[in-house]
Formats: sequence, structure tokens, C-alpha cells
Amino acid sequence: MLIPRRVKHRKQHHPNRHGAAKGGTTIAFGEYGIQALEPAYVTNRQIESARIAMTRYIKRGGKVWINIYPDRPLTKKPAETRMGSGKGSPEWWIANVKPGRVMFELSGVSEPVAREAMRLAMHKLPMKCRFIQREGGDI
Amino acid sequence: MSDTTKLTAEKRSDFGKGAARKIRRAGNIPAVMYGHGTDPVHISLPGHDTMMALKQANALLTIVIDGDEQLALAKDVQRDPIKPVIDHVDLVVVRKGEKVTVDVAVHLEGEAAPETVVTLDNNTLQLEVLATNIPENVVVSVEGLTAGTQIHAGAVELPEGATLVTDEDALVVNVTQAISEEALEAELAEAEAEAGIEREESDEEAASAEGEAGESAESTEAAPADEA
Repeated sequence: MLIPRRVKHRKQHHPNRHGAAKGGTTIAFGEYGIQALEPAYVTNRQIESARIAMTRYIKRGGKVWINIYPDRPLTKKPAETRMGSGKGSPEWWIANVKPGRVMFELSGVSEPVAREAMRLAMHKLPMKCRFIQREGGDI
Repeated sequence: MSDTTKLTAEKRSDFGKGAARKIRRAGNIPAVMYGHGTDPVHISLPGHDTMMALKQANALLTIVIDGDEQLALAKDVQRDPIKPVIDHVDLVVVRKGEKVTVDVAVHLEGEAAPETVVTLDNNTLQLEVLATNIPENVVVSVEGLTAGTQIHAGAVELPEGATLVTDEDALVVNVTQAISEEALEAELAEAEAEAGIEREESDEEAASAEGEAGESAESTEAAPADEA
């Protein structure tokens, strides 16, 4: 699973969820991609789960790229704890994804296979997504 | 790709986001045209026609402003990250017989040897070509290529009259050995165990359906074995 090796601050504020993606909105490496249509915090488990679903479907053909990285820690207070006494302990690692961001890319497979593999992967993600593909004018 | 698309543009004198939004609301696209030492000309283009014309990479456009025709290439297209609309276009003036540097898409043809994965490392090649004769794509054949084969930019057969601008040593196509089925299953099982992911029924069905379509029956038999 994707986890930062070391961080400057163990506990951080919640990342800003407003606005659209400023970069990474087009396909950079592969032929097909999954684009986020809503803002969401994507955990490293969700990223891994989506990657596994895609890789299982495409079997041994094709290549998968992950364009997001879960570099932000989110904390959680233990259950049945009174408020106060400091911030909770880090619980998840998340990537702050904004609408328009291309999260996964795929190449080396036919379009129907890519579409189905990415459909399976989208079910593992916490936001509405869409399948996109490289077009002539988008290069 | 010598045929051009004719777009009738109107000069605009109001600038800023307010004026630009007004133009977009009217179904047009704000644009700017410059090049050849001329002053930039701010124009608005018809929205739908421009969008259709720019679906083709390196489309050569004929811009008509007040009856004067001018050849231009799209240098930069700003698109909305979510909606399928164009926010702004930068056009660069070109002349007939002039050579321009453009990014041309690489198109793979043929089937590589079995048990290999073909990766396109550079999706485009920078070429110097005549503005009126820009190729749609550069075709690279991967027919029968075996694992370990690499095709560099210098080895790609270019269309007539084109000169390569990209570094000759740039990797374009890389053919690698496909991971074995056992190694892939082991890697995925390990990843699932590490992340604590349990496989769902839908995944099993999808895997077996794909197995039926592409692979032999052996792969479908192997799928339930790794359920644990």
C-alpha cells in the first residue's frame, strides 16, 4: 500500500475540498483514464483496491499508472472518548482529489477491456468518476 | 492533412473575465491570434465549429476576420477540467510553405509476440513539417516484436518531408516480457493481504468472464483457487 516514508508533521489539518483540480486533468501516460467528477478523500486502501480490481481484469496485458498519492494523514479519536485532550491519532492516509483529476491511467489493452476494468475500479472509489480516453485533439 | 477548416471570427475590444464570460454565454470562444511579428489580435470564434475543428490534432484553420483570411494553428487550447467546453484558444499565424514544429501522435500497428507487453513511452513526436502538410500520425509497426525490443525516435520511419525535432535517443516503444500468471496472482494476493482487502463476488465473476473472453479455460479454473 502507498504510505509516505516520513512526514514533517504527523497530524495535519483536514485538506481543503473546494474547487476543481488545477493540474493532472488530462491523460499523460496511457490511453485510457479514470477522471474524478466530485471532490473526495481517497484512502490508500481504496487506491490499492482499485488497482487490484483493474489489474485482475486486464490480467497480464497492459500497464496501470496511479496519478495520485495518499500523502495526507487523517486522525480519528477512539470510540467512547470525551471531547478534548488533544487531537486523535493518525488513522488513514488520504489523497485529496478534486473534480477533473485523472487518478488512474491504463494502456496496452483494447477499449472494451479498459472500459470494463475501469468500471470495476470505479466501484472501489468514493466519488463519481468517468472513463476518459486520449483523443486526437487532446494530445 | 492539407484541407483547412474555415472559421469566421469577430474582433473583440472588451477584455477581462466579465467580457470573456459574456462571449462564452453567447456560445462563442474567446481567442487570441499572434505570430510573425504582428500585434496580437483578440477575436471570438464560433463555439461549436471551433470545438469540432479542434477535435483533430494540429488542425490547420483558416480564420476569416472582416473578410481577410489568415492561416493559423492552435498553439494552446484551454479546456474546462470537467465540462466538455473550450475556455480559450491561442492561435499562431502560419503561412503557406512555412515549416512549423508540431507534436504528432504515434500510432502503433500490428501485434507483438505473445507473452509481451507493448508500452508507448512517448505518445507524440516533435516534427518539423510544412504547415500545410501536417501528418495525422506517425505509424510504428510492432508486428512480431519480441520482449526486450526498444524502438527509439531515431528509428521511427517519418512521413515524407518531416524532420525529427525530438531527441533521437528518446524511447518511443518498449516491449517487455509479460508477468507470469503465477507471479501476478502472488503479487495481487500479497497486496490484498497487506491492505486487508477481501475479494468480492463481482470481482470473481468479472475475472472469470474476462478469462473466458481472452485467456484459456485454465485461468478461470485458477481464479477460485486464490479466494482464500
